[in-house]
Amino acid sequence: MELAFYLSGLVAVLATLGVVTGTNAVHALLYLIVSLIAVAIVFFALGAPFAGALEIIVYAGAIMVLFVFVVMILNLGQGAAEQERIWLKAQTWVGPSILAAVLLGVLVITLWRGNTGLVIEGETLTAKAVGATLFGPWIIVVELAAMLLLAALVTASHVGRLPSATSGEHSGGDQ
Amino acid sequence: MLTSAHMMALTPVILVCATAVTVMLGIAWRRQHAATALVSILGLNLALVSLYLVYSAGDVSTPLLVFDRLSMLGMVLVLASTLACLTMSHAYLEGYPGRKEEFYLLMLCAAAGGMVLVASQHLATLFFGLELLSMPLYGMLAYTYRDKRSLESGIKYLVLSAAATAFLLFGMALLYSQSGRLDIAGLLAGLESSGGGAWALAGAGLMLVGLGFKLSIVPFHLWTPDVYQGGPGPAATFLATASKAAVFIVLLRIVMVAPAFHVEWLHTVLGGLALLTMIVGNLLALIQTNLKRLLGYSSIAHFGYLLVALVVADGLAVETAGIYLITYLMTTLGAFGVVTLLSSPYSGEDASALHHYRGLFWRRPYLAAVLTVCLLSLAGIPFTAGFIGKFYIVALGVEAGRWWLVGGIIAGSVIGLYYYLRVMVTLYLVEPGMRGRDAPDNWGMKAGGVVVLGLALLVIAFGVYPTPVIDWMSVLTSPVH
Repeated sequence: MELAFYLSGLVAVLATLGVVTGTNAVHALLYLIVSLIAVAIVFFALGAPFAGALEIIVYAGAIMVLFVFVVMILNLGQGAAEQERIWLKAQTWVGPSILAAVLLGVLVITLWRGNTGLVIEGETLTAKAVGATLFGPWIIVVELAAMLLLAALVTASHVGRLPSATSGEHSGGDQ
Repeated sequence: MLTSAHMMALTPVILVCATAVTVMLGIAWRRQHAATALVSILGLNLALVSLYLVYSAGDVSTPLLVFDRLSMLGMVLVLASTLACLTMSHAYLEGYPGRKEEFYLLMLCAAAGGMVLVASQHLATLFFGLELLSMPLYGMLAYTYRDKRSLESGIKYLVLSAAATAFLLFGMALLYSQSGRLDIAGLLAGLESSGGGAWALAGAGLMLVGLGFKLSIVPFHLWTPDVYQGGPGPAATFLATASKAAVFIVLLRIVMVAPAFHVEWLHTVLGGLALLTMIVGNLLALIQTNLKRLLGYSSIAHFGYLLVALVVADGLAVETAGIYLITYLMTTLGAFGVVTLLSSPYSGEDASALHHYRGLFWRRPYLAAVLTVCLLSLAGIPFTAGFIGKFYIVALGVEAGRWWLVGGIIAGSVIGLYYYLRVMVTLYLVEPGMRGRDAPDNWGMKAGGVVVLGLALLVIAFGVYPTPVIDWMSVLTSPVH
């Protein structure tokens, strides 16, 4: 388990470096997906499978796929096909692939040795325990998070609004 | 688990959140600017009343939040500042062409965040309170987003505040890894027993960076003038008053509660930051030609003075911090209130350049008088509230023998006097043919005018007869736990 923890941690650091040094949005996002999955494995190794699963489902799954789609949609245009060809060059995908392969190796080795459910230290934190804490003593924090999301939503909907017809200006459409 | 006593103690926060939700539902049903403002003000007043009931019921402590005298003080300050800001935003937003009602919703959310923050005794509530305080502020600062400066200030605050939050979280993680606890008292006790060490040091330093950013302490102050200048008047007022007061009170709580914080290196660091903040803030204020920027730098300098209370951290420190915070809030609300009123109703960028104020006295004598009183109080002239606050701070510094800090306060005040007087002179200059934007003629009738006038009277009243506030503060110094 120590191996899984440290290797995934290393992969997470390297992949994040790839994110911040990437000049192309899609390439950076590929690295970010690998980084998030590596963090999820770190969570598993630490004995927090619930957090790990959430990390994969919510971050690497939903949010990242959304990101990639949006970036790709925005990039559509005249040179889209050409752009796709440029993206298929080896140096684009080889970095994330190597890091992902390392993660896969960690996973396979762990499964093969049969020590699933092990953690490097402490005990496994189940989803039930997390839920009982969140909706027991931490209920205030959950409610605060709800207020926070409300404020964020209102902010986004207000600032994201295009100049309305009432003010008589139409400057949208240039993006 | 939460008991009914806990629910009772939470009533003020719940009331503010419920008001926010009511405003949201109201917006979904029918947009009505005046009604929205009225409901928000009503909710805040109800929360203030319930706060009094909670206060008389005595201290209550939940695992995450503590409702003692210090949090009561913080909640009163946050609620009162929010009320003043809300009253001013009604006049301000009247002229805004877009949707007006969301502003109240955002401000109520931020007020709830501030109330949670001042009562937090756990890193989770500290973090969520701070985020709930900052998140709506992004929207409030960028509210008039068709004005480039407002959008710029919102984005600037968003990006820099997110970076500061990352520092804060990383610091929390390091402290947690060293102590294994998340409640502040347990965490600090754990650190003490384990003897600190480099990681704990790094964690405390990173948390200090995160909180110092929100207080715009000098090396983390660069965002302040731009954000104050660009943000709409009421949002900048809220940022300068309620938001800063809440963050300062939580910092005060951490420093007071924790014996672990009574170590020499931390006091040296805080002392250095305080000295740097008051000198740099005042020096940079000298070269400003925009009143909002000037007030921004002046608020940086004032938090430098306030940090002295944290550096000394015993004796009259809590009382001093409370009194200084109250005088600062009254004065800053008044000064920003005048700027907001002069820019109301909204019609483009705020009227904050100094030339807008030339000869203000001859056009709007009452507003000019209010601004004069507030500037005198900021400078710390006797018979204003600012003098009482500064007197306490200097006395505290002298008592503790922190001569460098006392010297810094005096030097800062002298520099401050120059630029405050410069603005005051501008107010009374006569310049024929000069026309600028101005408050509507019946400004005195409007609620915002009454608020700034009341604030100015309070500043003078507190400067002449400070006993009630001092008595109230001395209750705070009696042992909290």
